[in-house]
Amino acid sequence: MYLSTLPGTGSSATIPRSRRPIRPLHGLTSYPPLQPERTSHGNAPANIPGHRRSTRRTVPAVEMVDLCKHFGTLRAVDHLSLLVEPGEIFGLLGPNGSGKTTIINMLSGLSVPTSGQVHVLGYDVRRNGRQVRHLLGAVPQETALYEELSAWDNLEFHADLFGVPRREKKARIIAILELVQLLDRKDSRVNTFSGGMKRRLAIGRALLHNPRLLYLDEPTLGVDVQARWAIWDYLLTLREQGKTVLLTTNYLEEAQALCDRLAILDHGKLIAVDTPAHLRQLYGARVIELETSTMSRAIKELRAVTGVKEVRQKGLRLKITTGGTDNLLPRLINIVSRDGPLRDITVREPTLDDIFLRLTGTSLRD
Amino acid sequence: MQAPWYTLRVIWACMKKDIKSALTERSTLIQCSTLPVNYLILMSLFVLSGSNAPTAVVMQETGRYAQQFYSAMSRAHSFRLQIMSAPQAHSLLLGGKLVAVVTIPPDFDTRMARRQAVQVTVQINNLNEDLTDDVRRAMRLAVTSFYARALPKLITIVPQEQDAYPQETDYIPFLSISILVISLMVAGLLQAGMGAAREWEQATIKELLLAPASLWAVLVGKMLGALVVGLVPVAVVLAVLIFVVGDWPTHFLMVLGVSLLTLLVFVAAGVMLGMALKQRIILTTLTRGLSVPLFFLSGVFGPLRKKSGTDRPR
Repeated sequence: MYLSTLPGTGSSATIPRSRRPIRPLHGLTSYPPLQPERTSHGNAPANIPGHRRSTRRTVPAVEMVDLCKHFGTLRAVDHLSLLVEPGEIFGLLGPNGSGKTTIINMLSGLSVPTSGQVHVLGYDVRRNGRQVRHLLGAVPQETALYEELSAWDNLEFHADLFGVPRREKKARIIAILELVQLLDRKDSRVNTFSGGMKRRLAIGRALLHNPRLLYLDEPTLGVDVQARWAIWDYLLTLREQGKTVLLTTNYLEEAQALCDRLAILDHGKLIAVDTPAHLRQLYGARVIELETSTMSRAIKELRAVTGVKEVRQKGLRLKITTGGTDNLLPRLINIVSRDGPLRDITVREPTLDDIFLRLTGTSLRD
Repeated sequence: MQAPWYTLRVIWACMKKDIKSALTERSTLIQCSTLPVNYLILMSLFVLSGSNAPTAVVMQETGRYAQQFYSAMSRAHSFRLQIMSAPQAHSLLLGGKLVAVVTIPPDFDTRMARRQAVQVTVQINNLNEDLTDDVRRAMRLAVTSFYARALPKLITIVPQEQDAYPQETDYIPFLSISILVISLMVAGLLQAGMGAAREWEQATIKELLLAPASLWAVLVGKMLGALVVGLVPVAVVLAVLIFVVGDWPTHFLMVLGVSLLTLLVFVAAGVMLGMALKQRIILTTLTRGLSVPLFFLSGVFGPLRKKSGTDRPR
């Protein structure tokens, strides 16, 4: 198998597993490795966010340098520099219109950057588009399946387009259909499938030519909870196989559950990039929500407390982000209850939405 | 540079996929067949109603010469003759059911035998000038051909016809070329255009654009697919022209070859149109809209204009 040398870094989040075990693709050979034109070692800009400064001579899975994309006066992507390492699940998180899909389109060569550079596994996307497309597996937002054809026909067409060796074609298609649990529906037309089945088939199709980098644009958009869990399972299996996965999402729980690292985007700009756990640590270890009976007038006093990172008031609810010192709680309750009795107290870990709100001033779901 | 076998494989795969997709959309296939056949039916009805003027013949004489004159009229290709009595014919003429009433007088044979002039009365309903002209021309033709057959020794000037083409072509078979070309155009534009526009509508264009295959190979495959599917309605139209209209081509292989080349041109145009329009509904409307003026501009009224004399300088 044509696998990356870097193991996955593991996700801190736990997700519910579907009951059926996921079988990895066995016995499938791959194409001879292509020779990348350059590696990041020694020539990657040191200030690229997300660069772990590894001492190993590894080719980054994705390297974007000062990438811009303008549509008229709109700056869809604004001077973005980012590095994705092989073998990790990397998430692009941001609200609609934040530039996620535009980045993905530039990565695959569907859209030409206004300025800047994109390299995929060492290849310049503009100069070596065909090689890059060989290494990429794409799951677009719209799934892009031929709905009037059967699942088998869709996979067979993809195999021919991507030059999967003829002698392996049938075995691969069967293995993929087994993987996405659609073997029993192989002859059914795709337009008879549910949203979740279509999404699974699209993922399977993207894996058929054994790509080294898989990108998924909103992979669980519009699918039910059960199908979402199944898709998450496939993606985690891919990481176990050493594949690099780049996904865009605006589902926080998805980003937390799957991604080794996350890039938070807003209006085409990179706001932050780190592991979900570290992001939570950086931008607050605890969130204390207090519901008062009257409007609290102690905001300034609360902000002055050591360990308090942020205080927001919305109606009778106070949201206080702290640095994680647990003994702050009695003190904060004491201050707030001076204005009147408390109705409700909630202590929880910060979500990515809290982090996003802190970083951009707007909610992710806006 | 890609390996030739890989390029061929991509072409084959695209062709196969497009054929499968097109066969799921039978409405397009039916449309490609019915549109040209409908034109044929429309024009045929138009021509049939115009070229057979309902005419009554009042046979006041039933002798040999009178019968020969009737036969000459029936060979003039412009009458739908009915023998009836004078009052009945007069009544139908007034009622607008007849274009003309031809009366063969009782002394027709006697006068012919004596080589005397005979007056054959023709009452004409001149409400429809087109049909009236048909009757006028056909009567002269009938008189001439009657003389040539009944009294060949009297006629000293006989036109010697030299045909420009080896075979006669009636008006409906004359339409065959236009019908066939419209069929090739509709089939080519619709099949190829739908195949291309479908890729954009269903966003499957991404599957093609993200493949490492050459775009030329993809386009050639799509064109071949449309060509194969487009041949189905063209074959239907050709079968109608041959077996229903009875217009068997003299050079069958040439017809097939020229048809294939013409279809290929329209298929290429269809792919371009589909890629540009990106919506099947617009493509269908445009193709149907284009076919109407092109059909009429293809010269289908040429023989009719000549026949009715509208080409003559005034």
